[in-house]
Amino acid sequence: MAGIRGNERPAGWLFVAPAVLILGLFMLLPILMALWVSLTRWNGQGSPFTGSVPFAGLDNYTKLFTDEGLARQDFMTSIRNNAYYVLLVVPIQTVLALALALVVNNRLLKGKGFFRTAFYFPSVTSSVAISVVFLFMFANGGAINAILAVFGIDGPQWFSDPRGLVHLFFDTPPSFLTEHSLFGLSWWDWLAGPSVAMCAIIALVIWTTSGTFMVMFLAALQNVPVQLEEAGLIDGASAWQRLRHIILPQLRPTTFLVVTLGLIGTWQVFDQIYVMSQGNPAKTTLTPAFLSYRTAFRDFDYGTGAAISFVLFLIIVVLTLVQRRLTRERN
Amino acid sequence: MTRLRHAALAAALAGSLVAAGCGSGFDDNGSTTTQQSAGPADLKIMIASSGDAETKAVQDAAAQWATSSGSKATVTPAQDIVQQLGQALAGSTPPDVFYVDAARFADYASVGALEPYAQGLDGVDSFLPNLRQSFTYQDKLYCLPKDTSTLALQINTDLWTKAGLTDADIPTSWEQLRTTAAKIKAKNITPLAIGDTRDRVGAFLVQAGGYWVSPDGKQATGDTAQNVEALTYVQGLLKDGLAKYPKALDTGWAGEAFGKGKVAMTIEGNWIKGALNADFPDIKYTVKELPAGPKGKGTLSFTQCWGIAAKSQFKQQAVAFVQAMTSAEQQLSFSKAFGVMPSRQDAQATYQQQNPSDAPFVAGAQYAQGPVNAPKMDSVLADLDAGLQGLQGGDPKALLQRFDKNAKTALGG
Amino acid sequence: MIRTLTSRFLGYAILIFFALVFLYPFVIQIANGLKTEANAAANPLSPFPDPLTWVSLERIFSGTGFPTWLGNSVLVTVVVTIGRVAFGSMAGYALSRLQFRGRKALFAGLLALMAVPPVVLLIPKFLVLNQLGMYNSYSGLIVPLLADATGIFVMKQFFDSVPVSVEEAARIDGAGVFRTFWSVVLPMAKPALITLTILSFTGSWNEFPHTLVSVQDPGLFTLPRGLADLVSGSLGAGTQYPLKLGAALLATIPVAIIFVIFQRYFVRDTTAGADKG
Repeated sequence: MAGIRGNERPAGWLFVAPAVLILGLFMLLPILMALWVSLTRWNGQGSPFTGSVPFAGLDNYTKLFTDEGLARQDFMTSIRNNAYYVLLVVPIQTVLALALALVVNNRLLKGKGFFRTAFYFPSVTSSVAISVVFLFMFANGGAINAILAVFGIDGPQWFSDPRGLVHLFFDTPPSFLTEHSLFGLSWWDWLAGPSVAMCAIIALVIWTTSGTFMVMFLAALQNVPVQLEEAGLIDGASAWQRLRHIILPQLRPTTFLVVTLGLIGTWQVFDQIYVMSQGNPAKTTLTPAFLSYRTAFRDFDYGTGAAISFVLFLIIVVLTLVQRRLTRERN
Repeated sequence: MTRLRHAALAAALAGSLVAAGCGSGFDDNGSTTTQQSAGPADLKIMIASSGDAETKAVQDAAAQWATSSGSKATVTPAQDIVQQLGQALAGSTPPDVFYVDAARFADYASVGALEPYAQGLDGVDSFLPNLRQSFTYQDKLYCLPKDTSTLALQINTDLWTKAGLTDADIPTSWEQLRTTAAKIKAKNITPLAIGDTRDRVGAFLVQAGGYWVSPDGKQATGDTAQNVEALTYVQGLLKDGLAKYPKALDTGWAGEAFGKGKVAMTIEGNWIKGALNADFPDIKYTVKELPAGPKGKGTLSFTQCWGIAAKSQFKQQAVAFVQAMTSAEQQLSFSKAFGVMPSRQDAQATYQQQNPSDAPFVAGAQYAQGPVNAPKMDSVLADLDAGLQGLQGGDPKALLQRFDKNAKTALGG
Repeated sequence: MIRTLTSRFLGYAILIFFALVFLYPFVIQIANGLKTEANAAANPLSPFPDPLTWVSLERIFSGTGFPTWLGNSVLVTVVVTIGRVAFGSMAGYALSRLQFRGRKALFAGLLALMAVPPVVLLIPKFLVLNQLGMYNSYSGLIVPLLADATGIFVMKQFFDSVPVSVEEAARIDGAGVFRTFWSVVLPMAKPALITLTILSFTGSWNEFPHTLVSVQDPGLFTLPRGLADLVSGSLGAGTQYPLKLGAALLATIPVAIIFVIFQRYFVRDTTAGADKG
C-alpha cells in the first residue's frame, strides 16, 4: 500500500494545479489588488501599483459613511433601493416557490413533469436576454399595460416613473419625516419604498428564480414520509392543518436554505439593472453592485468603486456565515 | 480555522509573487510608447455616433483618407463612449483618435489621457474661438473641434395642420408655447417631447437669464430666482401633459418620438436632421428658434473634438487624419450627411448658403450657452439629471440647492 | 368525491395559470421578433405576427455584430466547458481521493471562494487582467472562466459518494494514478460529468459581468454583451423591439435545446447546489 500511496503526493498537486492556478490568479489575487486600490485615489491612468498613485487610507470608505456629500448620498440610496428589493423579492419568491411545489406535488394531478419544466425553464435562460423581453413587456404601451387595461387599470409608465410606492399614496410628506435625516437621506427618502421601475425588475427576478426554488421544495417534499401524511388523513385533519403541522415542519431546512440563498443572491443584482435601467429613473434602481461598477468605469474613481465592492462583499459574507452557522446547528 | 488561515496566507503570498513577476500589463509612463512617426499607420477611431447617417459618413471619409495616405483606419461607433473609453484608457489600449465631448473634456485632459496636439498647430485660428475655448485646459488647446450644434424647436407640420394651427401659432414666447401646446393637447395630440436631461431643460434656464454655473464655469449658480422660475415653468408643462419625456412616450430619445409622429413639437439639435432622414424620411417638419423666455432668447450649444490618445503609437498620422477630417470641405460634407454645423469660420458662409432651412440653428449659435466643462463634474451632473427625471413630482428649488451643494464640493469652492 | 373534483379543478387552474405566466413571455418573444415594428408596438400581446416578417431576423445578421458575437460565444462556451469539466473533475477527484499535504487547507479555501459573490469581482478582475496584459483579448475573455469552485465542489461530493473499491482493485493491478483516473474513474463518473458539462455550458453561455470587464473591442463581444449593448443602444438607434427580441430569442435557443434534452440533469444541479454549505 505504501508504494501506491507514495506516488499520490505529486499526483495530487498535479491534479489540482490548473484549478488552483486559475482560481488563485483570477479570484484571490484580484481581491487583494482591489483591496489595495480601494485605499488609493487611482484615476485609471497608468498602473495602480506604483509609488506615484496617491494613497488615500480609509478615505474612500469614510466617504461612504461619514462624510457628507454625493458619494454617501448615492451609496445610501443604492443600499435603500436594494433593501426594498430584498424585502419584496425574498418573501414572494419563497412563498410562490413553496405554493407551486405543493400544487405540482399533488398526487391527484397529472402532468407533473410538464409543469415542473415550465416553471423551471426561465431560470436557465440568459439574464440579459430575458431582461430584453421584460423591457418590452413593461413598455408603456406594452403587454403588461395592455393586460392591466383589460381590467380597467391605467398602467404606470414603468421605466420613467421615479416615485416610490409609498410616496405614491402619501403625496405630501409629514414635516417631521423631511426634517430628520440619516446618512444624508431624509427619513422621507428612506421610507420611499421601491419605485415603480424597481417593481418591474422585482417582478422579473421573482419570475426567473421561483422555478429553481420550487425544484428544491419538490425534492424535499418527495422525502416527506408518506405514512406521516396518511396518519394525518386518518386523524381527519384538514388540508390546512396537515400543511401547517405535518408538511411545513418537514420542509424547514429547505425553507431556511431557500431564504438564505435568496438573501445572498438578491444583494448581487446587477445584470438586470445594467440592461433595463442603468440605475434610472432618478437613481431609484441604483444598487451597490451597479454603483460600484459605474463609479469605477464611468467616473474614473476606481478607489471608491472598489470600496463599495468591499462593503457589499462584507454584507454578503455576513449573510453567508449566518446561513452556514444556522445550517450547522440544525443538522 | 487555523488551517484556513494558513491556506489564505500561502495563497496571498503566492499571489503577490505572481503579481510582482508579471506586472507588465500596465504602461507606466506614456513617454516610453514607441512612436512610429512616419509611414503607414493602423489607426483605431472611436466615435459616439448620432446614428447610422453619421457612422457611415465618418467611415467613408476615413476610408478615403486611408486610401490616399496608405494607412489603415478603422472606425468603430461606441454604444456608450464614456464607459468604453474609460475602460480602454485604464486598460492602456485606447483608440488612437476618438470623439471627446466638451462636457467630458476636462476629465480626460486633467488625468493626462489626451495629447495636446492642437496647441500651436497650423491653421488653428480658423476654428471658432468659443469652441476652441471649450477644449482648452490650463491654457493649452488640446484638440480640434469637430463641429457644433445648437438646440432649436422642430414642428411636425402635418400634426400642426391637423390641430388646426397656422404659422401665427408658432410659439415665440413661453406664454405662447403654453397656449399653443394647450390647443394641441385639446386635439388629443401630445404637444411636446423634451429630453429629460440638463442638455435640454437647461435651455429654459438660459431663456430665464440663469444657468447651472457661472460664466467662467468655476462656481455653481443653481439656486437663483431665474432658474427656479425656469424649472417651475417646465414642471408646469409636464404636470399638465403639455410636454412629455421620451421614455413616457416609449421612445429612446425625443427625436424618435417626433419621427414616429407621436408629438407635434420637440426640442433637439442639428443632429435630428440626419436621424430623421435616415429613420423617418416621410416626416414633414420645420425648424424654428426656441421660444424666448422672460430674459429673451436662449439655447444651448454642443461640440465635440477629435481627441488623440496620449498613448497612441501613431500620433503624427493621427494628427494628419484629424486635419483631413476638419478641413472646410470635409466639414461641409459631414454637414450634408448628418446636419451638424462646421466648426471653422471659413466654412460658415458656405454652410448657410447650402442649408437655408438651418437658419434657426445658425441664429442660435449667436446667443447659445456652452456646456459645463470642469473636471470631476460628471457624477454631479448625472445627479442633476436624476433630479430632472423626477422634476414632475419634485421641488425645483430643492433640486437646484442639491446641485449647488454637490457642485461646490466638486469644483472645490 | 365532489371535494376531490373541485380540488383537482382548482389545482389544474392554478397550474395552467402559472404555466402561462412562466411561458407566455417566451411566446411574446418569439411572436414579436417576427412582427413589424409598428405591429409589435400596437399589439404587443398578440401571439400572431400580422404581417409575418423576417426583416428583423435578417437585420440581426446583416445590420448588427450578431454573427461575430455568436462566433465568440460558441468559442468561449466550448473552451470554457472543456476546461471546467477537465480541471473540475481532476481537482474534485484529488480533493476526494488522493492523499497529499495541504489537501484539507485547499478544500477549506475552495469553500471560502464559493462564498465570493461574482459581482464584487468586477473591478478586481479588471485590475488583474490589466496587470497581466490580458485585458481586451480572447485569453482575458476565456482563461479566468476555465475553473470554477462550484464545479470542483460538485465533483468532490460525487467522488465522496462513490465506493473506493473499484479503484483500489485497479491500483493493486498496478495501474498508476493517471491510468486509474482516465480509464476507471472517469467512465464511472459519467452522470456527474454530464451535470458538470451542463452547468458549465449554461454558465458560460449566459455569462455577462465577466465580458463587461474583460473586453471592450466589439470584435470580442459575446452574445450577452452584444445584446446588452444593442439594448442600451446609442442615440438615434430607436427602440427597434422586434430586432432586439429576435436577437434575445436566438441567444436563448441553444440553452433551451440543451434544457429540453438534459432536463433531469438540470434538476440534479439544483439539488446538488442545495447540499452545499
